[in-house]
Amino acid sequence: MIEARGLAAGKGAALAFKHVSFQIAPGSFTALVGPNGAGKTTLFETILGLIPPRHGEIQVLGGTPSRMRRQIAYVPQALALAHDDALIGREFVSAAFQAHRLGLPLPGSRRRARAAVDAALDTVGAKDLATRRLSTLSGGQRQRLLIAQALVNRPRLVLLDEPLSQLDPAARDWIVAVAADLTRRGIAVIFSTHDINPVLRVCDRVLYLAQGRGRIGSVDEIICDETLSELYATPVRVIRDGGRRFVFADAPAA
Amino acid sequence: MPEFLQFAFMRNAFVATTLIALMGSLVGYFVVLRRQAFASHALSNIGFAGAAGASLAGVDPMLGLLLFVMGAALVMAWTGRDMGERDVSVGMILMFSLGLGALFVNLYSANANAAIGILFGSVFGIDAGQIRWIAITSAGVLLGLGAIFRPLRFASLNPQAARAQGIPVATLDTLFLLLVGAAAAIAVPVIGSLLSFAIFVGPAAAAQAWCGRVGLGMGLTALLALLESLGGLLLSYYANLPASSCIAALSFGLYGLSRLPIRALRA
Repeated sequence: MIEARGLAAGKGAALAFKHVSFQIAPGSFTALVGPNGAGKTTLFETILGLIPPRHGEIQVLGGTPSRMRRQIAYVPQALALAHDDALIGREFVSAAFQAHRLGLPLPGSRRRARAAVDAALDTVGAKDLATRRLSTLSGGQRQRLLIAQALVNRPRLVLLDEPLSQLDPAARDWIVAVAADLTRRGIAVIFSTHDINPVLRVCDRVLYLAQGRGRIGSVDEIICDETLSELYATPVRVIRDGGRRFVFADAPAA
Repeated sequence: MPEFLQFAFMRNAFVATTLIALMGSLVGYFVVLRRQAFASHALSNIGFAGAAGASLAGVDPMLGLLLFVMGAALVMAWTGRDMGERDVSVGMILMFSLGLGALFVNLYSANANAAIGILFGSVFGIDAGQIRWIAITSAGVLLGLGAIFRPLRFASLNPQAARAQGIPVATLDTLFLLLVGAAAAIAVPVIGSLLSFAIFVGPAAAAQAWCGRVGLGMGLTALLALLESLGGLLLSYYANLPASSCIAALSFGLYGLSRLPIRALRA
């Protein structure tokens, strides 16, 4: 699904990361973990073909990222809203349906859009939000609508950019469950997060970015003293506590 | 035929206002959706400088207005990458243009009335030739808006996701500002640059408060704009008040009504 070899990318003069190689399989859940500024968003932009790699190569769904972009959905961190935004959930989700096409939607297209929106809302458990105004929704409910909007064109790969950053614990569990459910439908998910713990139980692999380097593997292979010490180029300790993992260097890093 | 339509100036005013209300309000729906009310207001006001400059140069004020507004739309698109972050650059462009306008009027005080008239509009002074231009421009703007409707709707609601899907968000932004510029250039001589908010922002803001669906909301926006503008003309005719003031008062009244927490009015 994604095959990256010796990838280096960045904005401006500096590289966010270099020598990063990884593979993503269809229907897999990959946690993209790393501190702020590690290059998680830059990696997403590279996968989407918005930033060309400086070195190395990347193939997405068997083609170049910019060619396959329409089969990839990107879910931004949060929905920017005016306090009085009166749009209802269904309208927000349907805005993405065949949005690259010019002209007004014809009646046939509107019927297909309605079916696609119903299916997307059902997938994320947000049917009850279809007629709710966006301004009345919680952060978790808005996040579900963002994911529903991403699904409306039936993507094969979904990139979730820090979806948990502004949510309470209950909403976090909901969003992680929704993302895990996508993989059961054959959709590959790359889920970026500062904190690995909320996705520990559902992720197949961890792609960890730090200090311009990246490593991919199972949770046990990556979230351990040896790998993280090598990535951070400084002694790092991973402490396990009741199924959760905490990473410590001189100061807590993740 | 009703009494007020027996006069050619009233018939022209009704036709011109109807066309501008329909075009301006539908463009205005996206102006409000994209939170670009300040940019649209600025574009309308920048026309004053263009008209004043054209008067000074001895050419048609309409030509100067059009050039200034479209040029300003391009500069606004170029200076602000993010539609929510361009307030400062829009304000600076507006300030510079108004300063230029004041300078032009000062240099050519002999016939500054035409340029100053742009500030408030002259709906009862529209002739058949102007109506033809208003009709052509309105049709062009609405066709353009219809052509980019789907990508523009997505890019307005979720620009990051739209960009990720390969939708040219920056190009759409420029195209939309040019449509707003064209709409403002043709509307300003009729309703005035100071009162263009009444058509571009008032009806859409009220409709979006009442209606959570885009299609229905656009229909309601056009209906409210027609009510405000044609109602304003009638009020002006019978009460002998300035038409722009009547249209602005109705626009403000409907917007105020839409802000009231009346659940029954929301769809």
